[in-house]
Amino acid sequence: MVDNVIPKSLDEALEHLAKGDYQIINGGTDLMVKNRAWSETRLDFKKNMLYVRSLEALDYIKRENNVLRIGATTSLESLLYHEHVPSVMKECLHLFASPAIRNMATLSGNIGNASPAGDGLLITYLLDGVIVLVNAEGVRKVRINDYVKGPGTTDRRSDEMIKEIQLHDDAFDYTVFNKVGGRASDSISKTSFAGAVRHEKGIIKDIRIAIGAVAATVIKDKSVEHMLRGQSIHQLKEKIPQILEAYEPHIQPIDDQRSNRSYRKKVAMNLLEAFLRQIASKE
Amino acid sequence: MKRDISKSIDNVEGREKISGEAIYTSDITMEGMLYAKTIRSTIAKGRIRHISIPSMPKGYYTVDAADIPAENYVHMLHEDWPVFAENSVNHIGEPIMLIVGPDKEVIKDIVGDVKITYDEQTPVFDLSDSHKALEFTKGNPKHAFKKAHKIITYGYETSYQEQTYIEPQGFIGYPENDGVTLIGSIQCPYYVKNAVKTTMGMDDDKVRVIQAAVGGAFGGKEEYPSLIGCQLAVAVAKVGKPIKLVFEREEDMEVTTKRHPAKIHMEAAVDETGHIRGIRSHIGIDGGAYMGLSQVVLSRGMLAVTNAYTIDHVNCKGDVYLTNTVPNGAFRGFGAPQMIFAIEMFINHIAEDLGENPLEYKMRHMAAQGDLTATGGVFRDPILLNEMLETIMEDSAYHEKHKAYQDPDVFKGIGMSWFLHGCGFTGSGEQEKIRARIRLKKDDKDDVHILIAAVDMGQGPKTTMRKLVASLLEIPIENVHFKNPDTRYVTDSGPTVASRTMMVVGGLVARATRKLSEQWVSGQELVVEESYRQPDYVKWDQDTMTGDAYPAYSWGINVTEVAVDPNTYEVKVKDMWNIYDVGKAIDERVVLGQADGGQAQAVGYATLEKMEHNAGKLLQKNLTDYIIPTAADTPRMHNKLIDNPYPLGPYGAKGAGELTLVGGAPSVALAIEQAIGRRIYKIPATPEHLMELMNHEDH
Repeated sequence: MVDNVIPKSLDEALEHLAKGDYQIINGGTDLMVKNRAWSETRLDFKKNMLYVRSLEALDYIKRENNVLRIGATTSLESLLYHEHVPSVMKECLHLFASPAIRNMATLSGNIGNASPAGDGLLITYLLDGVIVLVNAEGVRKVRINDYVKGPGTTDRRSDEMIKEIQLHDDAFDYTVFNKVGGRASDSISKTSFAGAVRHEKGIIKDIRIAIGAVAATVIKDKSVEHMLRGQSIHQLKEKIPQILEAYEPHIQPIDDQRSNRSYRKKVAMNLLEAFLRQIASKE
Repeated sequence: MKRDISKSIDNVEGREKISGEAIYTSDITMEGMLYAKTIRSTIAKGRIRHISIPSMPKGYYTVDAADIPAENYVHMLHEDWPVFAENSVNHIGEPIMLIVGPDKEVIKDIVGDVKITYDEQTPVFDLSDSHKALEFTKGNPKHAFKKAHKIITYGYETSYQEQTYIEPQGFIGYPENDGVTLIGSIQCPYYVKNAVKTTMGMDDDKVRVIQAAVGGAFGGKEEYPSLIGCQLAVAVAKVGKPIKLVFEREEDMEVTTKRHPAKIHMEAAVDETGHIRGIRSHIGIDGGAYMGLSQVVLSRGMLAVTNAYTIDHVNCKGDVYLTNTVPNGAFRGFGAPQMIFAIEMFINHIAEDLGENPLEYKMRHMAAQGDLTATGGVFRDPILLNEMLETIMEDSAYHEKHKAYQDPDVFKGIGMSWFLHGCGFTGSGEQEKIRARIRLKKDDKDDVHILIAAVDMGQGPKTTMRKLVASLLEIPIENVHFKNPDTRYVTDSGPTVASRTMMVVGGLVARATRKLSEQWVSGQELVVEESYRQPDYVKWDQDTMTGDAYPAYSWGINVTEVAVDPNTYEVKVKDMWNIYDVGKAIDERVVLGQADGGQAQAVGYATLEKMEHNAGKLLQKNLTDYIIPTAADTPRMHNKLIDNPYPLGPYGAKGAGELTLVGGAPSVALAIEQAIGRRIYKIPATPEHLMELMNHEDH
């Protein structure tokens, strides 16, 4: 029999994590499904479970200038209607699962899950997210690209849990979020794309590109983004073939029951190109 | 003036279903009730070498083929489908035994400890092993093809479709009266009863079948429940206690029947004027591991070979191929959606090859009253397709849109299909196989009880049958009663299938109601019965498949508008305009509800619902991976009905339920063809498939 713990405070949760090996369960919208069992019988959990969703102290949305701080137990549904949440993230959340799921699910859970198809993960990459981890000793901050090690694996140590996600927003002029799922809503992404750009007087000041579900983790190439900053839109337009070439080798999708490799790759490249051409059209 | 029967009333089941009061099978518990879980084959084909069963705690049982008192097959048309696999298995998921006991946790452990070893054999997955071949001929197709100016040939393919009813399959069974009683989620109480009688070797009065509230069926609960009903009856007889067997969603999707994948070859002999003189066709359907109802599905598919067109010379062949996959079976439309997809696409493709306007070309071949059907029967009743077409063309602005969407850069398209659906059982099935009997009872309070075996699975007969009787008797609907059928009390009015419930069963109910009205004595109990008589003019020869395949036909037209995203190849089905001739709607809202649902299923069939297997194992076996449309994927629906009363239907009613699904897919596919400037030969037209088509240069 597994041990089921519902801590009353963050400290209590951390005490448990310090003492033993727990599977942290937040909204449960993924773990409950993964560990489903015959109706009216116990779920198929193999490890001791620590239920953190009811920790109210971690249910918050705060903004300090460009940094959006999202507590670990904040529901996706509450993000969807919050004034501080950037529009590109809301676009994503509108298409995220179903309302029932959104009321239970959290961004921290989506990140902790580290599925390459996680839509919340894509936005966290786009907004250069920083994961704030906490254990009984204190906090530690890890950038999202260092945090996610591969499908389902992260940098989190067994005595730590996610306390907060910090997203770095900007006054973007143009953003896109494309979720390509099996249908218009309530689906798992076959591929996903998010892009954002800020430009002044024809010069690119900030550009972010994130591509999901086409590699072991979300693709976000900072070197390309840095290279494009300070360039003119006209220069970007000239460089579109080079930019596409830079991303192409990163896009290594798989065949599975939801789609196939060649479709995922082609669509990811199409969406990237469409985003770049849209920026170029603002010249 | 009397109220128009079509004017809608509240659905009598609406309140209890929406409030949650309706009692479904899984809501029922009985004192001392046990649970059952199925042990299934993990291989596609082989012999069972050994079954190792752990030591069973007291009160736990295994139930398998050895416990069957009489016949180890599910009584249907053929005797090939075992109740429990014995010695050999023929598909992954085939039931081998039940584990029965009081505690589900313990059952789960026992199930995990049962070990089966097999001698594996080479499974068959391609369409090569024909177990039933059918053929019919009209006119002289040989001559027509010999004299043809041009012969045009194409092949079409359709995929699996899963019924995806909300409520999974299940029964609760208990011993009663030295026999067995089953309460379940079913479409056909007497199919289950007859199957259980055969398997148990029990007399008629020992088997009782009761319908619980049914959370959707779509054909999926036509024949499959007979299998698990028999298994549970065997278990109840062995254990002597109430037992519940309810499937999980994933289990249900993996092991229950689906729409048959089909491969259809079409050939047309065209004369100098471009007219189609003859059609030759072959349809092969994948029956899965056992025949089940596949032969009848094949036959309905073949009978739709010329759809709503008149073609003078026809040869149609078909085969049911068995493969080592889950058996396929009944699903709304029953073979017709496959064939109507093929013929609608084909006739458009022919027109394009000939440089003709497809709409005008289709109109030149449109069936008219008095024409001969594909099997040489007669379209006796008026056909209103021209009037329907005029209405729908105007409502959808078809011509303007069709012209505007010729521009390849807009990635939009509009498509149109028209179609017919034969009402009731195929051929002489009603007369020879079903022989429906119905009973009405008036009690001493002058309330009328409808005693028929028809099941309300959401399509509304509880509402419409009561409305029909109340209207004919001119009494309030509250004085007419229609309970979930219980074979102890209701006669065998036949299965709830084939769009037959209102036209055939309702027709008998109307006749009995008139009889009741004539014999009415207030305050006195009175019982009247009616049974089916085939109209004398309907002639059908089952051996040659010639004559009147159906007593009547319903008609429909779908127009669909789509937009395709050139970056993601995703299809947005934006609008559907639909018009149907169901004779006369007994309740307009009920039929329009059927339209919304049938069309949504057609949109899914055409674009989203991809299901495939890898070496016999289904890859899409839950609602995350098997994609059915959500509200966001469902187009705006603009539905209309046109009255065309059928003389033998109650108030003129014909079949309605299947009509709204059978022809939708080609209208969607034709719209996609226009949007992408490429031809479609197979569905579902998924984005992955459209990408291949769009990136393929020569077309």
